[in-house]
Amino acid sequence: MFLRRFARPLLAKVKETTGIVGLDVIPNAREVLISLYTKTLKEIRAVPEDEGYRKAVECFTRHRLNVCQEEEDWEKIEKRIGCGQVEELIEEAKDELKLISLMIEWDPWGVPEGFECEVIENDAPIPKHIPQHRPGPLPEEFYKTLEAVTSRPKLEKATAPSEELKPKE
Amino acid sequence: MDNQSIFKYSWETFPKKWVHKKERSEHGNRSDTNTDYPFQLLCFLKLHTYTRVQVSIDICGVDHPSRKRRFEVVHNLLSTRYNSRIRVQTSADEVTRISPVVSPFPSAGRSEREVWDMSGVSSINHPDLRRISTDHGFEGHPLRKDLPLSGYVEVRYDDPEKRVVSEPIEMTQEFRYFDSASPWEQRSDG
Repeated sequence: MFLRRFARPLLAKVKETTGIVGLDVIPNAREVLISLYTKTLKEIRAVPEDEGYRKAVECFTRHRLNVCQEEEDWEKIEKRIGCGQVEELIEEAKDELKLISLMIEWDPWGVPEGFECEVIENDAPIPKHIPQHRPGPLPEEFYKTLEAVTSRPKLEKATAPSEELKPKE
Repeated sequence: MDNQSIFKYSWETFPKKWVHKKERSEHGNRSDTNTDYPFQLLCFLKLHTYTRVQVSIDICGVDHPSRKRRFEVVHNLLSTRYNSRIRVQTSADEVTRISPVVSPFPSAGRSEREVWDMSGVSSINHPDLRRISTDHGFEGHPLRKDLPLSGYVEVRYDDPEKRVVSEPIEMTQEFRYFDSASPWEQRSDG
């Protein structure tokens, strides 16, 4: 016990367990994340420009890649990205890669003519006696991505789009 | 306003071909799609980083007899990471077959079987499509609006034959006289 107390600063960087069943600790998580994110950025180029999906993916992948490259420590990466543990981030990145390949296969891009999407805004309030499980605070990266996706750089040049928008290649 | 931002995000990132109606409400965000796309939409929702819906809660079939495509298949989904729920609805008629969503959500296997059994909306290439809630040899789909509440057959144990037999229904109706003008039990006259 005393040994652990003295050795704890040395052990601080080593993650013992993720706490999630079935998810093992990956010791070189940072390298894996960086390689996955660079691969994602390469793959997403196959999606046509102008699609909200592409903008969103590029925005948050770039942000996460920057964070991973700046920080050396997995703990700091987790804290800055704010989206769970590094092993979960690795899973998310792998799923995103799978999704990109599936989307390229299905190819649903473009807006068909005569496209009408009915948007219903139903503001009926929920009665007070029903417990609501409100969603927790979303990571702030989400809001930046949302901004990047919704602002249209071509049409609105007056309102400054957020800096995360990539310049047109 | 997290619901609002989730809704806006999904509006922007879903490919436009897939959705043709969306609803944002405190009771649950919903997006409607055409028949070809629910599988793809659900895969998108499952895998995308900002909409990690990994749990399929339920799949229901709703019958609207007045519409041309009378059934509506509703997938209820839950995202444990972002604590949000979303409903994906598709419309189908009696002969349309929808794609099974068992590969992204294995727990949907039983719900799909139930949709098939109760409403008659079948799936293409479903790994295991059998009846799940109705009796063996039951004909018809109970949750359709044209099947009467008491059904068509009556089941009883027949002593001479020593087994359960089904016979056409002959539920005695004479004591079922509902006169809502008076709260007391009414007896009919014959």
